[in-house]
Amino acid sequence: MKKPELLAPAGDLERLKIALLYGADAVYIGGAFNLRANADNFKLVEIEEGVNYAHKLNKKVYVTVNIAMHNKELEKIKDYLIKLDKIGVDAIIVSDPAIIELARKTNLEIHLSTQASTLNKEAVEFWKKEGVTRIVLARECSKEDIIDIKKNANIELEVFIHGAMCASYSGRCVLSNFLTNRDSNRGGCSQICRWDFDLYDNDKHLKGEKPFTFCTKDLSMASHIPELIDMNIDSLKIEGRMRSIYYIATVVKVYRTLIDDYCHNKEKYEYNLKYEGILRRVANRDSITQFFDGNFGKDVQYYNGRMEITNQDFLGLILGYDENTKLAKLQQRNYFKKGDKVEIFGPDKEFSFTVENIYDEDKNPIEVVRHPKQIVYLKLPQKVSVNDMMKIC
Amino acid sequence: MSKIAAIINSLNEAKNIKNYIDAYLVPLKNLSINYINTFTIEEIKNIQKLNREVFVIINKNIHNNELTTLEKTLKEIEKLNINGIIFYDISIPSLKQKLNLKTDLVWNQEHLATNFGTVNYWYNKGAKYAYLSSELTKREIEEIKNNTKAKLFVNIFGYIPMFTSRRHLVKNYLETFNLESKHQNTIRKEDKTYPIIDKTLGTTVYSNYILNAVNVDFKDIDYLVFNSNLIEEKDFEEVLKNYKENKFPKETGFLYKETIYKVK
Repeated sequence: MKKPELLAPAGDLERLKIALLYGADAVYIGGAFNLRANADNFKLVEIEEGVNYAHKLNKKVYVTVNIAMHNKELEKIKDYLIKLDKIGVDAIIVSDPAIIELARKTNLEIHLSTQASTLNKEAVEFWKKEGVTRIVLARECSKEDIIDIKKNANIELEVFIHGAMCASYSGRCVLSNFLTNRDSNRGGCSQICRWDFDLYDNDKHLKGEKPFTFCTKDLSMASHIPELIDMNIDSLKIEGRMRSIYYIATVVKVYRTLIDDYCHNKEKYEYNLKYEGILRRVANRDSITQFFDGNFGKDVQYYNGRMEITNQDFLGLILGYDENTKLAKLQQRNYFKKGDKVEIFGPDKEFSFTVENIYDEDKNPIEVVRHPKQIVYLKLPQKVSVNDMMKIC
Repeated sequence: MSKIAAIINSLNEAKNIKNYIDAYLVPLKNLSINYINTFTIEEIKNIQKLNREVFVIINKNIHNNELTTLEKTLKEIEKLNINGIIFYDISIPSLKQKLNLKTDLVWNQEHLATNFGTVNYWYNKGAKYAYLSSELTKREIEEIKNNTKAKLFVNIFGYIPMFTSRRHLVKNYLETFNLESKHQNTIRKEDKTYPIIDKTLGTTVYSNYILNAVNVDFKDIDYLVFNSNLIEEKDFEEVLKNYKENKFPKETGFLYKETIYKVK
C-alpha cells in the first residue's frame, strides 16, 4: 500500500520545524506573491534555511506562488522563481499559467494550486501536458469525482483533509476587493465571507436567530483517511498557514497517527473517535466532511459569525530538559498553576501529570505562571524533549 | 473603433437592441452561471438569425460528472458556426484540442484575467480573445492591450458578479431558520445593498452598483460589454440607444481605483 504524503502548512520557520518534527512529510510555505500577503511570510534566506532543515530530514518544502498576477508583478516574479530554483525548493504551487510558463524555464517542479479550481479529468489532463506534476484538487470535488480523476489521470493528486474552506469557488470571490479595496486574488483577502449581513426579500428583512453570513464550517476528513489512502491519493493537505504551533503540532500528529495506523495494518485498523475530540478541541469552529460526501446543504453553514472560541489549552513549549535535576525549561503560552492536571505531548510521547513544583528563571519556587512567554522550570515525572508541548488535560 | 457587445436576457431583448450592437454574448443553459436567464442551443439558433456576431458563454466551473454533457454540447455548438465560446473552465480548451474543434475561444476567467502574460499564454493556446477582469485599472487594461495580439472584451455597463459559490447560501439560511422568500433577494451591510441570487447551480452575489463606465475612453478595446443581467429590458434598450448619454449614474468601478493587497 502506498503511503500518502502528509502536507502541513507553515507560516514561519518555527512552524515549519514543528510541522516536520510532529510528522509532516512536507510543508508548504509562502514567500512573496502568495495568497496570504499579510502573514509573516518567508524571506528568501528563511526559505533556504527551511529547505536545508527539511532536506536533512529527507522531507520537502513547497513554496506557494499562487497569486493572479497583475502586469506589474510579471517582471518581478521571473527573478523570484530563479532564486527559488537556486535554493532548491521541492516545488512551487501556482495558479496563474503565466507563472507556469516562466517556471518551465527553470528546474522547478510545478504543482497547480487549488486556486485554479480543478474539478475534472479534462482539466487535469490539460495541465499535465503543460508540465504540471501535481494538481491540488478543488475543494468542491466529491469522492466519486476524485476516484474518477485518479483513475484517468496519471498525475499526482493532492486533496485537502483539514481546515478552513472558502465559501466560494476558489478564485471566484472578490468581495474583499469591492468591500475593502483589498485584492483577494493577490493575497489581500479580508474574509468578508465571515461578516454578518442582513438578508432581504425585496424590502422585507428575513431575520433568523443569527444573521446571514457566507461562512461555512471547517473541513475535517479524519474519519475518511482510509478511503483516501485506498483511492491512492498522493498528498493529504492540512490548511492553515496562519495557525499556531500548537494547532499545527496537534493536527499533524493526529493525521500522522491515522495514516500510519491504517498503512501499518489495514485489516485491524479501527477509527478511534478520540482523535475527533482532539481535533475538535484545537479548532475554533465546527467541522464537517463538506463536498466529499456531496454535502453542501444547510448543515455546512456556520452562523456564529466571528464568535470563535479562543483556545487556551496550550500551556507551554518545552525549551530544554536536565536529566540530572529532572527539570524541564518551559516557555509559557497560557496561564497555569500548581495543582493543574496537564499533559505533555511530543512527536513520540504523551503523558499526563499534576503540576507540583514550578520554579521561576532564578529557580525560586512559584505557585502560578501568568505572564506570556514567561520562562519557568517544572519538575517532570518523565524525560521530555525540546519542542514537546504542555496542554491542559 | 470598439464594437458593442451585449449580454442578453431574452430573445425579445435581443431583437429590440439589434440596431445598437455588434455582438450578442449568450449565457448557455445549465453551463453558465451568474446570469438570471440562460439560453438553449435552439434559442441560440434564433439569435443567430439576427445577423450579429454571437459568442456563447460557458462560464461555470465544470464538475467531473458534467464532462459528458459539456462534450456533447461543444460538438453541437461547433455546428452552429458562432464567433466564439467564452470559457472559464480549463476542460474547454482541453476538449477543443482533443476534439479538434474550430470554434474560437474567449478566455474569461472572470477575476483572474488580470495580466498580459496570461492573456498571451491563452492566445498561444488558441484563445484569440480575452475577456478582462473588472478589477483592473484603466491603465492596466491599456498595458494589456499594448502587449497582446488577443482581441479584448471589457465590461462597461452592468452589475458585476463578485462572488460565486456552489453552495445554496440563501436556501440554506432560509431552511436553517424556517424563513420563506418569494422575491428577489439582496444582502445589506451598512448603507449598501448587494443583489444575491441562489439558483440550481449555486449562489452569486453582485456589486452594489451598476458599472457605468461609458464615458471612459476605450477606443482601442475591441469589445465594450453591456450586461443586461438584473436590468429591466426597457432600461437596457434605452441605455444602448445612446449609451454615452444613458440615465444611470456614472460609475467607473476599479478603473481609477487600484486595489491593494499588503496592508502592513
